[in-house]
Amino acid sequence: MRHVRGFDVVRPLSIWMLIFMMMPLVFLPLASIFIFGTSSGLGNFWAALNAPEAIFALKLSMVTSFWATAFNVLFGLFAAYVLSRYNFLGRNALIVTISLPTAIPTAVAGFALLLLWGPYGTLGRLLRPQGIQIMFTASAIVLANIFVTFPLAFGVIKPVFDTMSRSLEEASATIGATRWQTFWHVTLPSLRGAIVSGALLTFARAVGEFGSTILVSGNLAGRTQTAPLYIFAKFNEGQIEAANAIAIVLALFSFLIFSVLFFARDWLDVD
Amino acid sequence: MKAQVARIMDSSITPPLPESMPQPAASIVGISKRFGKTSVLENISFDVAEGEALVLLGASGSGKTTILRIIAGLEQPYTGKIMLHGKEVTELPPRERGIGVIFQSYALFPKMTVEKNIGYGLRIRRRRRKEIKNTVNELLSLVQLEEHRKKYPSQLSGGQQQRVAIARTLAYKPEVLLFDEPFGALDAQTRVHLRREIRALLRKVNVPAIFITHDQEEALELGDRIAVINVGHIEQIGTPREVYNNPASEYVATFLGAANILEGTISRGHVVVGNAQMPARLLGDRFKEGQAVKLIFRPEDVLISKTQEFPTGHACLSSGVVEEISFVGAYERLRIRLEASSGACETSDTPFYLTTETPERSNAKPVICTRPKPETNAFRLRTGDRVFLGLSSFTVLPNDARTSATSQPIIKTSI
Repeated sequence: MRHVRGFDVVRPLSIWMLIFMMMPLVFLPLASIFIFGTSSGLGNFWAALNAPEAIFALKLSMVTSFWATAFNVLFGLFAAYVLSRYNFLGRNALIVTISLPTAIPTAVAGFALLLLWGPYGTLGRLLRPQGIQIMFTASAIVLANIFVTFPLAFGVIKPVFDTMSRSLEEASATIGATRWQTFWHVTLPSLRGAIVSGALLTFARAVGEFGSTILVSGNLAGRTQTAPLYIFAKFNEGQIEAANAIAIVLALFSFLIFSVLFFARDWLDVD
Repeated sequence: MKAQVARIMDSSITPPLPESMPQPAASIVGISKRFGKTSVLENISFDVAEGEALVLLGASGSGKTTILRIIAGLEQPYTGKIMLHGKEVTELPPRERGIGVIFQSYALFPKMTVEKNIGYGLRIRRRRRKEIKNTVNELLSLVQLEEHRKKYPSQLSGGQQQRVAIARTLAYKPEVLLFDEPFGALDAQTRVHLRREIRALLRKVNVPAIFITHDQEEALELGDRIAVINVGHIEQIGTPREVYNNPASEYVATFLGAANILEGTISRGHVVVGNAQMPARLLGDRFKEGQAVKLIFRPEDVLISKTQEFPTGHACLSSGVVEEISFVGAYERLRIRLEASSGACETSDTPFYLTTETPERSNAKPVICTRPKPETNAFRLRTGDRVFLGLSSFTVLPNDARTSATSQPIIKTSI
């Protein structure tokens, strides 16, 4: 460290450099959403938000993301329990497989789902005669969301499971609790923080999902169009203001979720 | 001066309990355990009487924790069975055994307050709220934690957490309490204080308890009886007095306290160590004439004298030269090198020698003895002084393959 009369020059320099580097990369793009979105007045912004298709898109995004989150948190909990408590042949292979979906391009994920569940897909063709159609419905969006956010909750919950002392569960068992009572009263409370952050992460990621959703949903306005798809569609139609209004909502929403994650993490883990 | 006659003990294990005892609270019958191909426990059997505190004492890795986990149902034995109040529980899961385990880490539930922790056993048994509340209150006052009831475990000291853990198990009235190294995580002062508290508490609630420890002092103070465990088997079970005064093996002698060990042979009712003869009332034909034995005695059983004359109840062992004097607070510790050729207690034609496995000199070796303060003051000693050593008590064990296989260095001083 170089000091000029007791003053560390490197410190302010590096902090400002960091901010400067982030300017064009993060700050300015975010700022421009808000600047342009509100440039023609808050009234227009409000009107754009209140368009029925916009409201529908936001709602659909929330609902589908909710179900995907609910599923993945439960699944992640179960998978973390099994993979952290039992050692068996192929355990590591399973862990890798669960983590894989994050590494797969979302468009590939959507395409894969189409190949399986599409009207002529491996399973889809069996369902078609029963009159069941999964692709191009809200269910398809949930499936796509589940796929791309699959390992997120698991990834947050498993390390907590791994570090949790076995003696807590053993103590509970000797005191007289069944496995289920032990899980409910002892294990689960210790996982509370991990479950909430896992859920928030999954939800945030699901709300923003685009690549897989556009393939499996059919992108039908007012029917299977989620918020990100709405932004894309409106932009293509040249309705920048409409796109921008939703963009602001999504940006604020992510900002909110990550603030909660950041600031509430300690609180969630504290008794 | 205590007048204790030399005793002879064979290395067999003392019977677990007097026959007059009613049905034991817990019986461990022929337990063995293997992890893969390694055998960690061999044929472990003992009983715990109603209200009794039994300490399983052993070095780390001796298998003592495995015994505890098997009793608790957290591990399955390879052979043998566990009986609690006459009922076999070997196949039962932990929750159906009615045992209370106090884990080394306390294992308090971090997200529950002190009262929730204590009431847990009753809540999962779906007892009435009022009953739970009363029991919790009773236990809180028993372990003196009333003012901490709303706190979380992380806000308590180690000793307080320990007491919560005990109260939590007492709440559902277990048949047996199992303590796994209960004081391992505490500082020395709290440890002594807490174990006295727990001892008193156990007397009050009259629940039989099994303690696991590697701390001999703890074992002597806590246990009504002590079982010394060595590499998966029980070396000896007995009251602290029995185990300390009559160690059944060299391992017990050296693990529980300090012991001097000299090698000798049996000759005409005497243990002959070099040219010293210790009179020993040999019981029957326990030892054969000429059999190789080990003479084991505690540092505090040595009486130091300027002359060969010893008060009744003491037998002169040999003369020696004071090599080192150290002050250890409550007493003085001396290292005395036994003299080889001259100055043994009785004149004899046989040259004085001591067979040792790791002789420091081929014919002489030091013994450790301790003297209490009054004696130290009455009879001051300096290094180089020539003295006679008398023994008030010693143990003779056969010097067979097994004892030497598990033997420690000849003089083990853990003081």
